[in-house]
Amino acid sequence: MALGSDRYASRADWLLLIGCVFLSVVAMGLPGRLRDPVARALRQTVLAPFLALQEQTQLLAASLTRYQTVAVQRDSAVLAATFLPELRNENTRLRGLLGLGQRLGSGYAAAEVLHQALPTSALTLVVSAGKKEGVRPLAAVVSPEGLVGIVSSVDNEMSVVVTWAHPEFRASAMAADGSVYGIVAPHGTEGPRTWLLVLRGVPYRQLVPNGTVILTSGLGGVFPRGIPLGTVVAVAGEAEGWERTYLLRPAVHPAAVSHVMILTGSRGGGAGGGGGDVRAAFQSAGEMP
Amino acid sequence: MRRTDKYRFGVILLGLVVLQFSLRTRLGDDRTAPDFLLLALLIYTIRARPGKSAGAGFLVGLLRDALTPASFGAGALAHTIVGYLSALSKVVFFAENLFVNGCLFFAGTWVRNCLVAILSGKLKSGMLGWELLVWSPIQSLSTAVVGVVVLWLFRRELAIRMGDA
Repeated sequence: MALGSDRYASRADWLLLIGCVFLSVVAMGLPGRLRDPVARALRQTVLAPFLALQEQTQLLAASLTRYQTVAVQRDSAVLAATFLPELRNENTRLRGLLGLGQRLGSGYAAAEVLHQALPTSALTLVVSAGKKEGVRPLAAVVSPEGLVGIVSSVDNEMSVVVTWAHPEFRASAMAADGSVYGIVAPHGTEGPRTWLLVLRGVPYRQLVPNGTVILTSGLGGVFPRGIPLGTVVAVAGEAEGWERTYLLRPAVHPAAVSHVMILTGSRGGGAGGGGGDVRAAFQSAGEMP
Repeated sequence: MRRTDKYRFGVILLGLVVLQFSLRTRLGDDRTAPDFLLLALLIYTIRARPGKSAGAGFLVGLLRDALTPASFGAGALAHTIVGYLSALSKVVFFAENLFVNGCLFFAGTWVRNCLVAILSGKLKSGMLGWELLVWSPIQSLSTAVVGVVVLWLFRRELAIRMGDA
């Protein structure tokens, strides 16, 4: 088939391209206070039916997994299926969430993580709980293993979560025994230590041995005290002999999380239940990292 | 283009969009599963003019940006450029060849991922390298394979008619 000359870009095509590029650049430069309402409006209108479909698919998948688990338990003939790693992991995670939920009491909202396809999807997550479930901005988002991130914006039925991997994430932290305090931040995206956390601001004279569990300290009132952040694996650096920085292995990886719990703070405290101490909820089942 | 053809074309694209939000979550790792939404855009560009393709890319990108605010605007720009280039490339390449279309799907996905990763400014050094050289090629390959299967299955409905462009 011959290719017609009308396939070449005309002036109108060029104008459309330039217009779209211009609008994209404007969108990239939008400050958060303008960007969030635009994104929220899109999620609540055009994307709403598709996100509802994705949520239903996730629910269906979870239901199917649970059904399969029950069926497997009742039917010895398919007992081997329980050893499928993916099914076991999903089952363990759901059981962990159920256990954590009971220990936390009523101050949480359970949500599915709606993973997206873009390379930056591990930095911000969309979860299927919003204002209707009592979620508020700055609420802590946890899994049975530890802290996943913090809610950055809330729609009626879903929320956007900034994970600990986001370059702007910070959390006040302490050692499990309360002997050391510091600030935890993502290590960054350079070198072989990608997807690790760093504990900064630890005085030089205070040594933190490898294997020490680091928890949120509750200082600042954003995160409740006692959520596991990670485990010390090495010294990352020393600053002029007065401060040490430690590398942490994160308690939870955002890309591997399918279900989370958002602390709604109704048990007392701030938006994220900032006044409470939830250490016991993570300790009682031996789920510390 | 006959009216029934238009409807069939639209239904195929809508089907891909539905697959993005339903089946894709069951296809394993996010970083490697095929991107049905981008595939729908690239298939749309088979028939559309470059300008319309750029506009469609902008809309698709903007909607995706609403779901990943970490790279707001970057997705719109990346999809705009990929949509425009894809439509324009039909002039250069033999557009009805399955293998060529597969290559275009692969290149479109990889270029999109590159642009988003770079323009967002959130991925650097090692993570950027892994994204561009490992995960993106795998996702591009899976998207290209699905795209070729879709083109083969619906070869009559998706037949390119230059007079209808």
